[in-house]
Amino acid sequence: MQTRQKNPVPVEEKRHSQLAFLLILVAAIVAAAVIFNFITGGRFLDGTNILVIISHIVWPSFVAWGLCFLFACGYTDLSIGAILVLGSFATCIFGNWYGYPGVILGGLVVGTLLVFINFNVFAYTKIPSWIAGISLAMIYEAVAVVLKVSDATADLIYAEMDKSLRVLGQVPWSILLLFAGLAAAYLLYNRTTIGLNIRALGGNKDVARALGINVNRTLLGVGLICGVFIGVAAIVQESVAGRTLVKTGLTSINMVFQPLAIVLLAQIMQKRLNVIIAVPICAVIIYAVFNLLTIMGVPSGTLQEAFLGAFLIAFGVVGQRGVKGVVK
Amino acid sequence: MSGENILEVRGLNKYFGPTHANRDITFTVRRGEIKGLIGENGSGKSTLISQIAGLYPWDSGEIVFNGEKYCPRSPIDANNCGISMVMQELGVIGSLPAGVNVFLGRTNQFTKNGVVSLKALNRAAEEVFEKWGLPKVPLNKLTDGMMIEARKIIELARALSVDPQLLLLDEITQSLSLNNRNKLYEIIRKLKEMGRSVIVITHDVEELIQITDTITVLRDGAVVGDVVSKETTPDEIKRMMVGRDISGAYYRADMTPAFGEKVVLSVRDLTVPGEFENLSYDLHEGEILGFCGLSDSGIHAVGKAVYGLARPSSGSVRLKVSETETVAIDRADTALRRNMAYVPKDRDSEALMLHASILENFNLPSLTDLEGKAGYLAPKKLKKRAADLVASMKVKCTDIFQTMDALSGGNKQKVNLGRWLAKEPKVLILDCPTRGVDVGVKAYIYALMKEAKKKGIAIILISDELTEVLGMADRLIVMKGGKVTARIRRDEDFTEQSVIGVMI
Repeated sequence: MQTRQKNPVPVEEKRHSQLAFLLILVAAIVAAAVIFNFITGGRFLDGTNILVIISHIVWPSFVAWGLCFLFACGYTDLSIGAILVLGSFATCIFGNWYGYPGVILGGLVVGTLLVFINFNVFAYTKIPSWIAGISLAMIYEAVAVVLKVSDATADLIYAEMDKSLRVLGQVPWSILLLFAGLAAAYLLYNRTTIGLNIRALGGNKDVARALGINVNRTLLGVGLICGVFIGVAAIVQESVAGRTLVKTGLTSINMVFQPLAIVLLAQIMQKRLNVIIAVPICAVIIYAVFNLLTIMGVPSGTLQEAFLGAFLIAFGVVGQRGVKGVVK
Repeated sequence: MSGENILEVRGLNKYFGPTHANRDITFTVRRGEIKGLIGENGSGKSTLISQIAGLYPWDSGEIVFNGEKYCPRSPIDANNCGISMVMQELGVIGSLPAGVNVFLGRTNQFTKNGVVSLKALNRAAEEVFEKWGLPKVPLNKLTDGMMIEARKIIELARALSVDPQLLLLDEITQSLSLNNRNKLYEIIRKLKEMGRSVIVITHDVEELIQITDTITVLRDGAVVGDVVSKETTPDEIKRMMVGRDISGAYYRADMTPAFGEKVVLSVRDLTVPGEFENLSYDLHEGEILGFCGLSDSGIHAVGKAVYGLARPSSGSVRLKVSETETVAIDRADTALRRNMAYVPKDRDSEALMLHASILENFNLPSLTDLEGKAGYLAPKKLKKRAADLVASMKVKCTDIFQTMDALSGGNKQKVNLGRWLAKEPKVLILDCPTRGVDVGVKAYIYALMKEAKKKGIAIILISDELTEVLGMADRLIVMKGGKVTARIRRDEDFTEQSVIGVMI
C-alpha cells in the first residue's frame, strides 16, 4: 500500500495513548507539586496558595483558547491584550451599574465585538494580521487611556468592581467556568464544521478555498469564537483583580504573555495531547512555576520570565522526544 | 456510449490580467464518455477544468451541464450539481486527519446539534474507500507528512465521495505508482459502466490514448482539435499539441550501459526503518542509475536517504571527493556543500518556494557561489543569472520577478531542475523529474539528462514510470517491500515485462 503505514493507529488506540499521556502528565504535576511543597516548607500546597493558583489560571486559559483558534487559522492578533483591557473596563463599569447582567454582557459584548471588528479588518483589507493587529492595539489602548483620563469616565474606571459581583473569579464558580470553557472549546475546535474549517484555513488557505470553504465567512467565525473567549477572559480577569491598569505604548501586549506561553507549551504537547485539553494543564504548570519562584523569593519580572523561557525550552525538548516527524 | 451530451462548453474565455488563458473553448462530453484533455504546460487545460469545477468564473461563453445552464459559484456548488475534481497540485490539509479531508467543506452532513460526529464521518470515508476499491489510508492520522501518493488517494476519495456524474482528473496518474494507477483505471472503467463521464488530463500521451474515448487538444489556450482515441497515434497528438513534429524517440537509443569506471558514490547496507533495508550500490561517473518499484517499495525514500534527508538506522553513504578521500553524507547541508543535488517528487511542498519569485528560486541553492566580498550578493548578478536560466531552460513567464505559484507545472519543474543543473553537480538525484510536465518539456528534460551524463554527472533516477527508467538508465535497481529484488543492466533483459515480473 502506498501509504507505507504498516500498522495504522486505530482511533481507540489513539484515544488510549492520549489518556495515558494525560494521566502521566497529571501524575508528574502532582509529584512536582509535592517536591515544590517540600522545597517551600509546605507553603506551596497550602490551601490558600492552591486557591490562588486556581483563580489565576482561569482567565489565561480562556485567552489561550481564543489564541488557539486564532493561530489555527494562521493569523496573529497583537491587539488581544488591549481588547482584554477594554473588556475588563466594560465588565467593571456595566457590572457596577447593572449587577451581574452588566458583568457578563459588558465583557462579553466588548470582547466579541472588538475581536470581530479585527477579523473584519483582516478579512477585507488583506493587511497582514500582525501589522493590522498592532495598529488596532494602538487604537484600543488610546481609547482605554481616553476613558481613563476623561472626566466623565475616569471615576468609573478607577472604581473597583463591587466585591459582591466577583464570584466568577472565585472557587467553585471559576472552576465550573473553566470546565465549561474546556468543553465548549474542545467541541468547537474538534467537532464542529466551523472548527474544522478554521483549521483547514490555517493548513492551506488555497486548498480550503478550492474545497468550497468560504474564507471570509470562516475568518469572521474565528473572530466571533475568539472574541467570546476573550470576552469571558475579561470578565474573569476583572472578577479576580477587581480593576485593570492601562498605559499606551503597546504595553497591553504584556497581558497576553502568560496565555501565549500556555499556548506554546500546549502546542509542544499537541502531538500527544489535544491542544485544547492541554491548555488548562499548561496553565497550571506555568502558573505553578511562577508561584514557586515567587514563594522562593525570585524577583518577579525579568528573572522569573527567564526561568519560564528556560522551562519552556526544556519542556519542548522533552516533549518532542520520540515523536516521529513523518506519518507514512 | 450514449449520444447525449452531459457537458457542453460553448465559446468559453478566461483572462488572467493580460493573459488570455482560454480562448473560445468549445467542446462536449457525452454521458459515459472518457474524455482526454491534453496540451503543453500553460496551454490552459487546468484553467479550463478549474472553471468547470467551480474554482473560478469564466469571463464569457457558457457551459451547459445535464441540459441546463451551469454556472457554479464554488466547488461545493459544482459538487452539488454532480461535478468533482482532483486537482493537479493543490492537495489536502496537513493539519487535519485524512478522514476529515475526505469530507472537508461538506462536514455539515455529519453534524448533529452542531457537533460533527467523527465516527460517522470516518465510517462514511471508509465506505468510499471500500466502494471504489481504493487502498486503505489511516483515516484518523493527520495527512501532514503522508507521501504524495497517499495524499492523492485521499483527494481521489474526496472527489468520488460526491458520487460524481462528471469526474475531473488533473494530472493525477503521474503521482501514482503502477499498482495504484491500475486501480485508478479500474475506477474510470467502473464510472464509464455506470454511465458517468470523466475528463482526464495527463501528459502521458500513450496512457491517454489507452484510457480515453476521445481527446481534445489545446494549444495556447485554444482547442486545436478533437480526435477519437482509437483512431489516433501518439505522434499525431504531439504534433497537434506543439504545432510541429516531435519524435517519439526522446529516450536513449543505445542499449549498452555507458559510464565511467570511477565510483563517485558508495552506498553500503543502508537501512531506513519502515522504508528499505540493507541497500548497497555504487554510482559511477556519468551513470544513470534507475530505481523502480511499486508504492510500498521504498524507492522514494532512497533519494531522501542518499541526500541526507531521511535518517538511516544503519549503513553509510560516502561521496568520493578526491582520488583518495571520501566523505560521509549524512545531512542535506553536507550533500549540498559537496555538490550533490536533489530534485524531490513533490516539488510544491518539498522543493520550491511558491510565494517567492523565479529569481529567488533559481538562485537559492547557489547563493554561496554567487557571494561577493563580505558575503554581498550583487542584485545585478542574481538577476542576470536568473534571466540567463529563464532563457536557457525556456521558462514561460512574464519576468524573473513572477512568483512561482503563477507558473504551470512544467515551468515550475524547469526552475526546479534548472537551478541544480546550473551548478553542474557531481551527483544529481531525480525523483520523478517529469511528473506533471508535457511531452515537449519531457523531451527537454531527457535531453538535459543526456547532456549531464556526457559531462560525467552521476544521476540517480527514481521513477514511477517504467518507460522512463527503461528509456534512460544504464542500470536498474528494482525494489519490492523495501528490498532489492533485481539489478538489471541496460544490455541485459531490459524490458518492461521482465521488470514487472520482479516488481510485483
